[in-house]
Amino acid sequence: MKNKSTSWRYIFCILLLTTLLQAQSEKPTLVVYAYASFAASWGPGPKIKAAFEKKYHCNLKFVTTSSAISALRKIQLEGKNTKADILMGLDKSSANIARKTHLFMEHGIDTSALSLPIAWHDTIFLPFDYSYFSFVYDAHKTHKVPHSFDALLKMPKDFKIIIEDPRSSTPGLGLLLWIKAVYGDKAGDYWRQLSPHILTITKSWSEAYGLFLKGEAAMVLSYTTSPAYHIIEEHKSNYKAAPFKNGHYAQIEVSALLKSSPHKALAKKFLAFTLSETFANIIPTTNWAYPVIKTKQGLPKGFESLYIPTHMLLLDDKEIETNKKHYLDEWLNAL
Amino acid sequence: MIKNIWRFRAAILPGSIIALSFLLLALSIFYILFLHTNQIEFSFNFLNHRIIHLIEFTIFQAFLSTLLSLIIGTLLAWSLAHQNAFFGRNLLIALLSSSLVLPTLIVVFGIISILGNNGWVNRALLSLFDTSLGNFVYGLSGILVAHVYLNASFAARSILHVFESIPKERYKLSKSLGFSVLTRFVLIEFPAIKNSLKSIASTIFLLCFTSFAIVLVLGGSPAYNTLEVSIYEAIRIDFDIPMALKLALIQLSITFFLVILSSNFHTGLSNIKTASTPVPWREPIATHRVQILIILLCSFLFILPLISIVVDGLGANFGRIFHDALFLKSLFTSILIASCSSIMTVICALLMSDARRNFNINHRIKKSKARTLIDLLIAFSGNIYLAIPSLILGLGFFMFSQTFQGPQVLWALLALLSANILMSLPFALSILYPSMQKIAQRYDKLAFSLNLEGKSRWFYCEWPYLKTSVAYVAALSFCLSLGDLGVIALFGSDEITTLPWYLYGLMGSYNTKDGAGVALMLLVLTLSIFILLPKVFTRNFRATNQ
Repeated sequence: MKNKSTSWRYIFCILLLTTLLQAQSEKPTLVVYAYASFAASWGPGPKIKAAFEKKYHCNLKFVTTSSAISALRKIQLEGKNTKADILMGLDKSSANIARKTHLFMEHGIDTSALSLPIAWHDTIFLPFDYSYFSFVYDAHKTHKVPHSFDALLKMPKDFKIIIEDPRSSTPGLGLLLWIKAVYGDKAGDYWRQLSPHILTITKSWSEAYGLFLKGEAAMVLSYTTSPAYHIIEEHKSNYKAAPFKNGHYAQIEVSALLKSSPHKALAKKFLAFTLSETFANIIPTTNWAYPVIKTKQGLPKGFESLYIPTHMLLLDDKEIETNKKHYLDEWLNAL
Repeated sequence: MIKNIWRFRAAILPGSIIALSFLLLALSIFYILFLHTNQIEFSFNFLNHRIIHLIEFTIFQAFLSTLLSLIIGTLLAWSLAHQNAFFGRNLLIALLSSSLVLPTLIVVFGIISILGNNGWVNRALLSLFDTSLGNFVYGLSGILVAHVYLNASFAARSILHVFESIPKERYKLSKSLGFSVLTRFVLIEFPAIKNSLKSIASTIFLLCFTSFAIVLVLGGSPAYNTLEVSIYEAIRIDFDIPMALKLALIQLSITFFLVILSSNFHTGLSNIKTASTPVPWREPIATHRVQILIILLCSFLFILPLISIVVDGLGANFGRIFHDALFLKSLFTSILIASCSSIMTVICALLMSDARRNFNINHRIKKSKARTLIDLLIAFSGNIYLAIPSLILGLGFFMFSQTFQGPQVLWALLALLSANILMSLPFALSILYPSMQKIAQRYDKLAFSLNLEGKSRWFYCEWPYLKTSVAYVAALSFCLSLGDLGVIALFGSDEITTLPWYLYGLMGSYNTKDGAGVALMLLVLTLSIFILLPKVFTRNFRATNQ
């Protein structure tokens, strides 16, 4: 029993400390909900926090969940009690789920500085980084790589790919929409033919990429910017994105401001900050994606060797929203 | 009956109160979720062919997994029981339970390192014989391999315990009657392990029935999903809490039915383990060889994945990990929660078993319908975690934290702690309850006549027999909490993180190398707890007894 009472004492002390610390700081605290790897010590979170706090004399706090969708669900569950001022990290393709909750307000930020592959008209969601979905392979092990979805079907039987589940993972949904954008009504047929090449469908990107690094399959569904990590952090240039003639579907990550936020002015400053040079220079080597504005500094060394798709695919948000269930059923029935 | 309940109130009350509060917790979780959803009409139109297929597949898969786990577990336990003096036996037994408590993802990766497409076995086969097993580790076979890996070792360890408690006189008798190995098994060993097999089988079935991570990584396709996965899907994708609740209720009814089935056992007077004195003669040579072979094969299956975790982990940058404040915080939080939940689990399991055995022993409370019902309720309350999907549990706690405003950290700790206790209880009860029941059956009359009650009864009559099991349960629940990722997903924030959460974070940002390092640390921590804790326990007892 002695053990138990000391541990409660610990908890009590921790609680006391946190309340004291909170009482001490007179600065306003801006709460940002994001996915875990964004706010982790190796992600962009800490650097962004330091830069923003210095500039505006406030506290910035990240609250993390396993994914941006989970963060949105958390906000919905918290309802009126939510502490969130900003939600960060939703993919544009899932943004409509958030739009329909009517919890978010217009950002009112001038988006003329944006340099995205598409024009941006959304008044609620603001992009902060982007990348393209693509299959990544190891050039040391895989010498013959398909350059289109059709070519992928024609690969030998033992050519396996690892993909993510569209129901639980952003890249997984990305592939579903990518194939939909390429094949339209024939997407179901395509999935049926693809299924012998699928080694496994994982819950999230981490498991899929981990299996790929173990050498379990020839290709994994990831991003065109994934090789940058291996080039910059590990000095390995053997991981490459396979260019597809069909074009590549884009993932654009967005942030949005909550109507319920008590610090709207500060939150807007933060949104504007996500379009700043400082922010754009942090993103590439922490979140391994492209920033949404062109910076004076340009992209870090290593990014120049990445494959940049010439043809970008995106389905209309509203179309995705109305048909998503149907797309998923089609996918489920095909496999 | 009431009179007798009053007579044994000291044993019945604490355990019953705990069981009741667990049941209430489950009810209030469902209640609060119902409150938060709009009107639910109870129609069964959601039972489309896909859901029905899912239920069928889930049951089929769990049945196969259980059967295989039991067969392999029994074979291994039988071999270990008869080969009780080889080098490294204790280490092997400690390793046997560690797979169950490591974070599932680590185990899955360990298995893939060995049996995967590019695994050690395949690479060895390719270089030696130019053939390979291919992708058998994905799909149904993969799910089975992983489930057997996780559960057969747990089964083996628990059954070994029963084997060792068979009185040696029976072995001597069978020797003098000239029984063959098979006859000996049928007449002496099987009757002794039968009851444990049933309770272990139901626990394993429930575990496989609610399996989530394994099915998703190794299942390979949505055709091999479980109900748990569809619940996750309903909440995450459609934010359809009513649907999730309906699915959860289906799962609840199936598990409840199972618990009813499994607790209908009549435990005959069996044996209690005291000391394991070896049987003084060797097995026939052929049997001896078979047993050695089984032990070798199983060691190979159970230990290689762990070795691969070590090999992968050594490449990590430990300097960087140890300097990461977040890592140290996660480590501290994990150990704190694991310690608390370990102590609480042991206390709850002992009190619940103490209460439950009254309703199963005729000389304490006479057999009646009411007695059976109470027995069932206590049994069910210990298996709540298996009955209620962890996502629903987390969601329920989350709703509590919203309804009763309090510091998030406190709620998160409370949720983690409760979930971890509930998670370990099924194991704890399936290990402790049979022993406690046997002790009561054997020593009640003696204890009553000597007026041994309370503390003294506990010290002279229960503790000597329960010591090893309690140590095992404490270690098991400690490690289970250490490797759990379940409910934190809803509460995760920068204030509270645990080691598995940190590990997932690393893996989610390309940092697989350091992730493997953290996995190695978890493995080392788990093994040291498993090997050291039982030693501490037995020593402690001596100290208090002098």
